[in-house]
Amino acid sequence: MSQGTTSGTSGPGADVVDVVLVDDHHLFRTGVRASLDDGVRVVGEADSVETAIQAVHALRPPVVLLDVHLPGGDGGGGAEVIRACADLQGTTRFLALSVSDASEDVVAVIRAGARGYVTKAIDGAALSDAVRRVAGGDAVFSPRLAGFVLDAFGAAAGDVATGDDELDRLSAREREVMRLIARGYTYREVAGELFISVKTVETHVSAVLRKLQLSNRNELTRWAAARRLL
Amino acid sequence: MTSAGTSPWTGPGGAGTPAGPAVPRAAARLPLRRPEQGRWFAGVATGLAAHLGLGVGLVRVAFALLAPFGGVGVALYAFLWLTVPAGDPAVAAVDERPGPLVRLARRQPVRDVPVRRWPVTDIAIGLALVLGALALVAGRNGALDLRWVAPVLLVVVGFVLAWSQLDAAQRDRLRARAGGRTPVPVLRLVGGLVVAGVGVLLLVGQYTGRGIDAGTLLQSVVASLAVLAGVGLALAPWWLRLVRELGDERAARARESERADIAAHLHDSVLQTLALIRARADDPAEVARMARAQERELREWLYDDRPAPGTSVTAAMRAIVAEVEDSRSGPSGDPVAIDTVAVGDRVPDADTEALLQATREALVNAVVHGRPPVSLYLEVGPDAVEVFVRDHGDGFDVDAIGPDRFGVRESIMGRVQRRGGTASVTCRPGRGTEVHLRVPTRPAAPDAAAGGPAAGGER
Repeated sequence: MSQGTTSGTSGPGADVVDVVLVDDHHLFRTGVRASLDDGVRVVGEADSVETAIQAVHALRPPVVLLDVHLPGGDGGGGAEVIRACADLQGTTRFLALSVSDASEDVVAVIRAGARGYVTKAIDGAALSDAVRRVAGGDAVFSPRLAGFVLDAFGAAAGDVATGDDELDRLSAREREVMRLIARGYTYREVAGELFISVKTVETHVSAVLRKLQLSNRNELTRWAAARRLL
Repeated sequence: MTSAGTSPWTGPGGAGTPAGPAVPRAAARLPLRRPEQGRWFAGVATGLAAHLGLGVGLVRVAFALLAPFGGVGVALYAFLWLTVPAGDPAVAAVDERPGPLVRLARRQPVRDVPVRRWPVTDIAIGLALVLGALALVAGRNGALDLRWVAPVLLVVVGFVLAWSQLDAAQRDRLRARAGGRTPVPVLRLVGGLVVAGVGVLLLVGQYTGRGIDAGTLLQSVVASLAVLAGVGLALAPWWLRLVRELGDERAARARESERADIAAHLHDSVLQTLALIRARADDPAEVARMARAQERELREWLYDDRPAPGTSVTAAMRAIVAEVEDSRSGPSGDPVAIDTVAVGDRVPDADTEALLQATREALVNAVVHGRPPVSLYLEVGPDAVEVFVRDHGDGFDVDAIGPDRFGVRESIMGRVQRRGGTASVTCRPGRGTEVHLRVPTRPAAPDAAAGGPAAGGER
């Protein structure tokens, strides 16, 4: 776990992470707010693309919990919000939250710049952890997102990146990390399994996220093109 | 649509009778089509009878009666033959109805009436030959001026060529759907225009005197082309608007049909489940199970490509997960959700079948004896299919299991090992239990392996 986790649990103080919660379902917003622990404070809510952009610019929270499907705007949903808030890059990070498993939804928000993707089935403690992780600059991968990455980059072991600058393939280590996450391992468990530190796991995951955002792999561009992201 | 009566569309009560009081739109007329069933010649009379709600005999008699009056009956018949598309009026009616009605009230299939087909082409060729012979004989005898015959023939052939695409449009659409777009309609149109144009020119030449000299011919062709171009330019916006409206309408219809699909599905399963949940609100375990099952179904329905049965290992795995989730409960009696992640896909074979059965046993074991969350990871690689089943229970020691305990040893490990695969169980205190199954895939079926990812890769 990152330092944010340990200090965040010490009580409501300087380490509380402020979030803006964006979802068009009032019921869901209420549920999320109730499930988040003391280390995360909801400072604002929004229920459409326009109100979300407005709220994020007004409040400048470190983390925005963002639904993928949002009404309003040009119909781009969560990805549109992220693009409209590109000027806040570095201070505000986005964590996508969705019921959808559809790969085009995942690709849309991740390529727009979200730092992670979790499904709405996630429980409160895990979501709070994910928020703190994103606030600390790390990427958050659900098992499903890891599975999607393996699908998109090819699960074949022979197809391995050799250099760091190669965007279209995963390195052997990154693939191992992704497979363990897809198997339901937490970062800490991945670290224990591979005999590396949690920090190294986070580095690998961030590298994969970067590839996911920048790669021109066929599968990714096809999905992105279908959503007119390019 | 009902298909009561002796003939599929023109029963004693007429085809226009409503299918039932519940669907008022069914009282509307059947669209004009030339059905394949019950036709004598080209199906014009049958289709017209179905459209007007009259007896088919009546229509036929009307055509026959009209025939002597300057060939009105024949001309009318030929005109309808050319302009009315072939097809089943009832099917066309269903296609034209708004989507929701189609979904909610399914149409009964039309009874199979033997299709009678006339060898139209053969008859046409025979007729043409007979007419040609008659014309020749008449020309010999001086009863017919043969100089008129060739141009008239050309004009007729040109028109037939151009008009015949009305009938061919449907066939071409089918062909275009199956493969690439065929330029046949364009060829037909251009060829017909050229042939008819030449015929007209020759006719005009005959009429004005001793044929046409090249200069006049060129002049008249240029003049007529100029007139045609002018008219075409003037009509272009109108035509464009027509095309655009057609496209819009098609898109709207597709949207409506999709919405109808979703509405019907919501009606069928989601509303029923919600009603069940309300009725069983006092039983949280059962409610959770129903909600989970409904969520799974809806998810599959919304986000998956739904591959054909028997073509996808991933789909088979999801079915097994669904079955285990629905039928088994955790140690405390609560339903357990299995978090499933699948990567890649292929066509199932005997090896993957054994792997799936072993996975099922492992899942049951994890759900019943382990502790949630239970996760399942399926990876279909180029040379092996791997499965990881993980729960957060304390696990068990495989070596401590007596050989008499059939469960784990035989149903999970034995199944996989007999297929040349490997199976292992890892238990770590505090980190739960993980069953790892791996079955090598046979490289013998490259087609199947190539077809699998293409079918399910977009999952």
